[in-house]
Amino acid sequence: MNQTEILAKMQTVFDDVFLDDVKVTPELSADDVEEWDSLLQISLVLGVEKAFNVRFRVGEVEATKNLGEFADLIQRRMNEGAKV
Amino acid sequence: MSSEAVVLPAGSRAGLEEVRELFAQRSSEIWPALRAATRTAVDFTEVLSLANLKKKAVRAGISGGADKTIRLAVIGGSSLYPLHELVQQMIGAGSSVGWWETELWKGDYDNYIAEILDPESELYTFKPEIIFLIPSNQRCFYSGSMTDAAELQRSEASKTAEELLSLCQVAHERSGAEIIVSNFLPAAEFDPGPFRVKTLGSNWSFRKLVNLELGLKAPSYAHICDAEFLATRRGAASSHDPRAWFETKQLYSSDFAVEIAREVGSIVTSLHRSSKKVLALDLDNTLWGGVIGDDGMSGIEIGGTHPRGEAFKQFQLAILSLAKRGVVLAVCSKNDYKNAAEPFEKHPEMILRLKDIACFRANWEPKSENLRHIAQELNLGLDSIVFVDDNPAEIEIVNQFVPEIETIWLGPDPAEYASQLLNSRFFEPRAITADDLKRGAQYQQQAARAQAMSSGTDMEAYLSSLEMHSIISEFTAVDVPRISQLINKSNQFNVTTRRRTEAEVEGLLTSPNHYAFSVRLADKFGDNGLISVVIVRVEGQTAIVDTWLMSCRVLKRQMEEEVVNEIVRLARQRGCISVIGHYIPTEKNGMVRDLFPRMGFSLVGETDDLATYQLTTEDFEPRKTHIQIDRRAYESN
Repeated sequence: MNQTEILAKMQTVFDDVFLDDVKVTPELSADDVEEWDSLLQISLVLGVEKAFNVRFRVGEVEATKNLGEFADLIQRRMNEGAKV
Repeated sequence: MSSEAVVLPAGSRAGLEEVRELFAQRSSEIWPALRAATRTAVDFTEVLSLANLKKKAVRAGISGGADKTIRLAVIGGSSLYPLHELVQQMIGAGSSVGWWETELWKGDYDNYIAEILDPESELYTFKPEIIFLIPSNQRCFYSGSMTDAAELQRSEASKTAEELLSLCQVAHERSGAEIIVSNFLPAAEFDPGPFRVKTLGSNWSFRKLVNLELGLKAPSYAHICDAEFLATRRGAASSHDPRAWFETKQLYSSDFAVEIAREVGSIVTSLHRSSKKVLALDLDNTLWGGVIGDDGMSGIEIGGTHPRGEAFKQFQLAILSLAKRGVVLAVCSKNDYKNAAEPFEKHPEMILRLKDIACFRANWEPKSENLRHIAQELNLGLDSIVFVDDNPAEIEIVNQFVPEIETIWLGPDPAEYASQLLNSRFFEPRAITADDLKRGAQYQQQAARAQAMSSGTDMEAYLSSLEMHSIISEFTAVDVPRISQLINKSNQFNVTTRRRTEAEVEGLLTSPNHYAFSVRLADKFGDNGLISVVIVRVEGQTAIVDTWLMSCRVLKRQMEEEVVNEIVRLARQRGCISVIGHYIPTEKNGMVRDLFPRMGFSLVGETDDLATYQLTTEDFEPRKTHIQIDRRAYESN
């Protein structure tokens, strides 16, 4: 999966979690969306883990600055899963 | 868990898809769908998606929602988000007509002691009806050494429980609220090894003891959310997630949080609605294996050394355990009463006896009607009944016509029946009283006094909803074994009870003086297989029905009408002007005594052991039914 494909799949998770329509783009971050607070972030991360069948390590999602970086992290974790 | 896989509809994800669809249509049908999907959802993201759809439905103004609002405060020693979302969703699904909204007040992380002890705190200005308290798990450990004297360890465990209960007491006295308090999670780490059970000082033993003290000493306003049991049942190691703790102070792993929330929802529901009182039971293939009307006392499977018999016996033992603490038992079965009652009276392996059954309905009326009778006779609301059957079509008819009644579909494997009943959660007492124990006898007397008669239900709509398809075929070599089996086994729906060997049945395939056909019936629940057999002898211009039998499973589905349509159609093809039907009464075939007159035949002769009926083919109008006939006999495709 490349970044574009990952972002497309993330959109379905976003649609499930946000009340408002939020368009997923590589530049998007929590600061851009009013509804996106630290609490909603929890649901989002769990939703992403479920959708992509990956598990992040403690603290690493918090370190990503926008959805592009988040998608890259997902990709790394997916590749790691594939090797096992 | 295998036993639950049968109770829950397969793939609850389908429920989520349905809710999405209904939201897209802005349909008020979204509410029952939301409730059903929420009740069966098992994973965290699924429940959150449902919660999100619920909020969107409210925002879109879809009618049919809130029918009650509950003021709930959630406080505790861990992060209460997103647990509160799950709890609200589960409480909402407790409604039986719409949605139970919650007005929520959330305490701060690990601030519950101050919130309870400060009389000016927002907890009290909020005026909650219910307070859900999740105490801090990390504070529940023995402060001394594992080798300390047991008395010391025991007294510290008591003190821990008492401190928590006194917090509950203060909260209750200041707010008047019911308190739901979670107990402590079992310690899932191996350390310190098997020594853990030789001391009360290990986390494992200490928490168990605290939890026991908590439950045994809890007053009536304090309801235990038994996290220890739920985690043990699920697997303690998968109930906690260290990363979620470090990142966001979640006490429970995400999917386990769903189970905790469901438990809270269940307690809230039990506070607003009384529990079920009556267990109404099917008989054949539910209480015993086989069909009493066909297999007889010696043929049914119950007890003994056979594994299936053992499983049915275990199910009866489970039923009896509920009866002993006050659940009222009723029978609701399609059977002749005499046949149905006999095992209860005479079978040595039966656990349940007639004295255990408060209301016994065995007849050929629709079960929805019989359940109404049972409610009337016991003078209880329909919503206090839970109906149990192995047949999905019977469950469906009850769900459609008496939706107030909860149902348990047992499925095909009797090994699962006992655990299905004991996991159904319909009969959980909050406290068992002496009255409960006597209740069974009381209702029995009530039933003896009252006798009520039936009212009509919309049978047509039900039949139409079954989407029945039938294939009618002349006898074929492949079908001979099944046809012979039915001919030699069917007792109840069998007008002449004429037996034939396989060779004799085979002879009919080529007999010039006969026409003979078998009927298969499928509906939306599945294929019932070959369920009816008809053999007609042609003598000149007269067609004589030699054999007509049918499996009782498909009784009153209009298959009888379609069979007559086919008998007459083929009679006309062979130039017959009249059709003759015989009824030969036996011990067991009372249910077809009126079959021919019901189908439009006239009585032309009657003795004690034979009734003869006649129908003129010219006058016959084929009967309209809800069964689609995909193929007819002696017609190639």
